[in-house]
Amino acid sequence: MLSVGQRLWRLRGPLTSLTSGHTPWTVTGWPLVLAAGKKHQIDLPLVHEEELEEQFVRGSGPGGQATNKTSNCVVLKHIPTGIVVKCHETRSVDLNRRRAREILREKLDIFKGEESELLKMRRESIQRKQDKRRKVNENMEKKRRFKERLCSEEEEKH
Amino acid sequence: MMFKTIWFRLMHRYSGVSKQRSVVRLSSSAAEGAVAPPADCSVTAEQAVRLWARHFTLHGISEPLLSSQYIISHVLGEKTLERVSRKRLRDTLTDREIERVWKLCSKRLTRMPVQYVIEEWDFRDLTLKMKRPVFIPRPETEELVSLVLEDLQLIQGESHRTDLRGLEVGCGSGAISLSLLRSIPQLRVFALDQSQTAVCLTTENANRLGLQDRLDVHHLDVIKDADAILSKCDLVDFIVSNPPYLLSQDMKTLQTEIFRFEDHAALDGGLDGLSVIRSILGLGSKLLKKRGRIYLEVAPCHPPVIQQLIEDMMPGLLYLETHCDLTNRPRFCILQKKGEND
Repeated sequence: MLSVGQRLWRLRGPLTSLTSGHTPWTVTGWPLVLAAGKKHQIDLPLVHEEELEEQFVRGSGPGGQATNKTSNCVVLKHIPTGIVVKCHETRSVDLNRRRAREILREKLDIFKGEESELLKMRRESIQRKQDKRRKVNENMEKKRRFKERLCSEEEEKH
Repeated sequence: MMFKTIWFRLMHRYSGVSKQRSVVRLSSSAAEGAVAPPADCSVTAEQAVRLWARHFTLHGISEPLLSSQYIISHVLGEKTLERVSRKRLRDTLTDREIERVWKLCSKRLTRMPVQYVIEEWDFRDLTLKMKRPVFIPRPETEELVSLVLEDLQLIQGESHRTDLRGLEVGCGSGAISLSLLRSIPQLRVFALDQSQTAVCLTTENANRLGLQDRLDVHHLDVIKDADAILSKCDLVDFIVSNPPYLLSQDMKTLQTEIFRFEDHAALDGGLDGLSVIRSILGLGSKLLKKRGRIYLEVAPCHPPVIQQLIEDMMPGLLYLETHCDLTNRPRFCILQKKGEND
């Protein structure tokens, strides 16, 4: 597994190049294409290259001109969450890397969404438990006082 | 002609579909292991993929499953098996499809690279025609294009120039030039190759992609025709190349796919692998505008040698950086023509 930060594969925030009036660029010279109906890549959580581990199923061999292999599968792992994305949708390694990152950002978005849902549920559950405990305590208190009253009434009789 | 006939239950053994049997005939006149298509039995795309993957494995063909998948998807009009619908995969192949699959897979049995078998391949966002023996673009080279584009975008961002010009040495199928042209509308490129077949293929790919207006392709050898290049080509903002960089001694250990089918002249860089690279550097001194850059793909052993070379012999050039490829091997060298005050 290679740490992506080891190479000069820089992630440029898409917003920085939108101001020039030209086609906006993202990583490694790809124009930013906003697909209608899909959540825009801009809105998805940003991924930092230092948090990624990338692996290429290219087999052993010297690489470059000395190798002719057609395997171009990209395996991308997001270290903080442990999410792993595998992509071999296209015949281009570069495109697969880009797609893997898009898929990862989509998954992170869902993950974050689930996170906040989970937190909400957890908070509600805690609140319910607290209410329940208070009720139980109140009832116990009532029973205790009733018992005390009974005891004192008994004593008065004798 | 003698025909050797071997009958065996191919389908039954391999696909686990017990009812179906297929008989195939091996003819000794065809490639070793070549099979004729099953005559009277239906086969689905899925089954064909498995069948041929097994067959390739039996014959020691590298990447047997991938080869089978790419070829059969191609016959079905798709680039990868992933893009073929589940339904289509389970449909039986038409007679025409079967014939085509069998014909193409038989070619793969001769160790022909998949890219030559289907006569196309992708490079970044382009689909290019492939034709033997023109060099097949490697995935590493996609990163070379990214490096060039990053710098060109910076120039564009700062200066908004509409007259950017580049030179590609050894264009092959046109992958590098055409990628750059597609991404940068204001760019014009002068491309050359010592192979006429490559020149024709680059031209054909340029026409297919509608980029022919901004590309000049010439049949020229960077070592032998240096003067002609200097007279035909104007000053450029950059030079880019994936030149032959293998050492001659390493040529004989190449995998069969490469050795048997690709143009050796596109691979062999001489004793030290630097024969073509030296010429490109020499050209750079003369053809580059001030601070223009040279982007090279090289062998992992080359960067320090190139650095030393220009220090000793090319005072007009500055070594900027070495960049690693995705397998973390030193793979790309970026150099720059010195400006007045450098």
